[in-house]
This record gives sequence, structure tokens and C-alpha cells, in this order.
Amino acid sequence: MAIDVIAPMPGTIKEIIVKAGDAVKEDEELVILEAMKMENPIVAPSNGTVKEIKVKEGDKVNTSQVLVVLG
Amino acid sequence: MEMDNFTFGVTMLVAGMGGTLVTLGLLSLMMMALGKLFPYKEEGGKEG
Amino acid sequence: MMEAIIAGLGGLVIGFKMLFVNWQSLIMLGVGGVLLWLGIKKDCEPLLLVPIGFGCILVNIPMSDVMLKDGFIRTIYDAGIDTELFPLLIFIGIGAMTDFGPVLAQPYTFLLGAAGQFGIFLTLMLALFLGFPKLDAVSIGIIGACDGPTAIYVTSKYAPHLLGAVAVAAYSYMSLVPVIQPPIMKALTTEKEKKTVMKFTAKPVSKTTKLLFPLVITIVGGCIAPKGLPLLATIMLGNLMKESGVVARLAGAAENEIANVVTLFLGLCIGATMAGPAFIRAETLIILGLGFLAICLDTVCGVLFGKLLYIITGGKINPLIGSAGISAFPMAARVVAKVGMQYNKKNYLLMHAMGANAGGQIGSVIAAAVMLSVLAGMGVIR
Repeated sequence: MAIDVIAPMPGTIKEIIVKAGDAVKEDEELVILEAMKMENPIVAPSNGTVKEIKVKEGDKVNTSQVLVVLG
Repeated sequence: MEMDNFTFGVTMLVAGMGGTLVTLGLLSLMMMALGKLFPYKEEGGKEG
Repeated sequence: MMEAIIAGLGGLVIGFKMLFVNWQSLIMLGVGGVLLWLGIKKDCEPLLLVPIGFGCILVNIPMSDVMLKDGFIRTIYDAGIDTELFPLLIFIGIGAMTDFGPVLAQPYTFLLGAAGQFGIFLTLMLALFLGFPKLDAVSIGIIGACDGPTAIYVTSKYAPHLLGAVAVAAYSYMSLVPVIQPPIMKALTTEKEKKTVMKFTAKPVSKTTKLLFPLVITIVGGCIAPKGLPLLATIMLGNLMKESGVVARLAGAAENEIANVVTLFLGLCIGATMAGPAFIRAETLIILGLGFLAICLDTVCGVLFGKLLYIITGGKINPLIGSAGISAFPMAARVVAKVGMQYNKKNYLLMHAMGANAGGQIGSVIAAAVMLSVLAGMGVIR
């Protein structure tokens, strides 16, 4: 079952912490999203494996855009 | 006419805070209206 | 001839002698040093504290004539503080820096920006109760706007003798927001409220709305509270210049060059109002205490209003964002986002808090403007 991790707010991808294939736990930081000059860690909504990373560092994203797919 | 400090304080609290709330409430309504009147649409890369 | 030489040399040591006669000045030299230390070593509002600290030292050097008639800081003071020009010029820059998008996207956050101003009026009451004259109490209350330029604007007009204390309180507490607010926020909300997840679904705001916003605020706000029109107008002018995008040079100058120059002059002047005998009084400590209370009360009222919204909306609004309804932008919003994440990592409150915070920025200006107009209405000021 794939879970989409979406951007909760518009901003810029500052850092991608995980890579495809990583096993992540709930609340583990996946991506740092910079919005309004503040760095916001985007965390995993549940345990899983990183299936796909849909963005790269420096990308501008909109609200609800898929950042990472967990499998 | 010199009013006493208590009357002054209460007046400021009621009129001042009340006025602030009402003004901001009014502004928030007007902004809502503006948001409805001019909804966001993709502005085709026409940046300023 | 020998006598003349000795008398002449005597002129060089008189300053040191006076240093021990005016013990207050000696203390204030130390205070100036502490302000510099805070600014330089502790990175606490260095842009302000460095010139303030230095101004404070300058004015407390015995026989210093910088603040006497035609003294160099007095000249700046008369030109910029007495006329209220400096806070207004700073406001153009703040307007050009602030993105009001988040509050426009969620207009209800304007109300949170109003609730965060309660501290102003409660502190005003308390100051009156403690025996401060009316206009002094108004100036002390305005520290609760948590907004340096607003506080300076009001105080320099109606209680200039308190300017040093009020300005220092306003700026130092503003930088202490990340320390002052979290305990209050945590104490006033339940675990469940803190964990309330808010999704950010608001659509972006159209350019037309962003352009009309400063005009509407200026005209409507100005009609309601003409006494505060200069405050409102300058911040909105800055914002209009930014949003219009056609005068990037002017907006850039307002937020960089003009703001920088004015900050330097403003800081020097504020520091120079802190002359020992006038500053070292019980009154100053009381003002600093009341100012602290004002900001705490702002936070309390903001969070309580947030709780009210939580109840009204059936648990959709996280009360924590209420504490961002003050003017310390964008610090207060970041504090909310951080505290929210401590309790629920999947909760991203930043955009909501930014809305409340931008609302608070407008709110503090509106509150000051309304206050001045009410005072004028009552005939207390002209």
C-alpha cells in the first residue's frame, strides 16, 4: 500500500534526508521544506519504506504536492 | 473636564479593544469579499 | 602662567571627577555596556542594541553635550523622533518586507491579530492603577503591541520622558518572544488541543487582492482611526510598493537603505534618552515589569481566543496559533510552529501561525490607531 507524503504548505525543498529504499519509522524526518524562511521537517506519517522521491533539492513545491511515496 | 483614572481605563478597554476587534473584524470581512471577487487564477508566469 | 596651565589641565580631569559625583551616570555607563554585550555577544537584536548601547554610553559621559541644545544626537532626535519621522520611515520598510499573503488567504486570522492586542489595554489599566498619569499609562500599555516603531511613535508624542524605558522594553521583550511565549502556550492548552492538526488548504491569493489590500486597509482604517493614519499608511505604502512589483528599487530602498540608516539614528537617539538621573528611577523598573506583563497578557489572551475558536469550530483550530497574534513578525509564528511540532510532528502550523502573525502586525497598528482616536474622541489628546 503506497502512501503519498504531501507538502503541507508551499515552499522550497531544502534538503532530502532519506533515499529510495530506506526503511523509515513513523515521525522520522524525510525532507526539509523551507517555507517563510523557516525550515520545516516533513516526517513520515507511518512506518514504511521509501519507494520514490518525487522532488529534488531546490524544487519549489505547492501545497498538497507529493514529495515522497512510502511503500 | 477631567475624568478619573478608573473611568478612563475602562473607557480605553471598552472603546479601544472593542474598536480594535470591530475594525479588524470589518477588515477580515472585506478581505474575504475581495478574495471572492478576485479569486486566484494561474497568472501565466506574468510576474510583476 | 603656571596657574593657567594647571587650570587648563584641570579641564581634562573634571570629567573623571564628575563621574563619581553622578553615580547614576556611572551605573548607566555599565547599562550601556550590558546592552552592547547583549547585542554583540548574545546576538539579541544587535541592529538596535548596538546603537542604543552606544548612545546610552555617550549621553552618560559626564559633561557630554550630545543631548543638549544643538548637540549632535539632539539634532537627530529633534529631526526624527520629535517629529515621529523615524518610526514611520521604519514602517515603510516593514511593509515592504512583510508578506501578508497568509493572512489574506485566511482572513479569520485577522481576529487572532486583534486578540493579541488585549495585553495593551489590560496593562494600560494596571499602569493607571499604579498611579501613572493617563498618557504615560497609554505609552506603557503600547509596549504590549510588541512592536518597536509603534511604541516609539506613541511614546515620543505623548510621554517622551518615558521613551528610553518603553523602547528598550519593547525591543528587548520582542527578542525574548521565543522564551516568554512557549511556557504560557503550554500551560494554557490541553494535550488534545495542542495536537490539533490543521491542514493548510487555503488557495493562493490573487494579485488584485494583494494590491487592493493595502489600499482598503489604509482607507477604511484611516477613516475609523485617522489619528493613526500615518502608522497605517506607511506600512501599507511599503506593502503596496512590494506587491505592485513595479517599483522594486523603491521597495528595496525602503527595506534596506532607508531602514538601515533610520535604525542607526533611531537607536542612537533611544540610547541617548537614557541619561542616568532621568533613567535610574523606580518608575523605569516598573515600566520594564509592566511591559513584560503586557507581552505575557497578549499571549494569554491570544491563546484563550484561540481556545474560543477551537470550541466554536468544533476543534478545527489549534489554539496555539492564537499566541502568534502579536506583532513580532515572523518570530511568533515560528515559535508556534515549533511548539506545535513538539507535540505532534505531523502538525504543520506555520502557515496558520503566519496568518495570525501578519494579522497581529496589522492588529497592533490598528490597536494603536484606534487608541489614539479614542483618546482624541475623549478630548484627552488633540
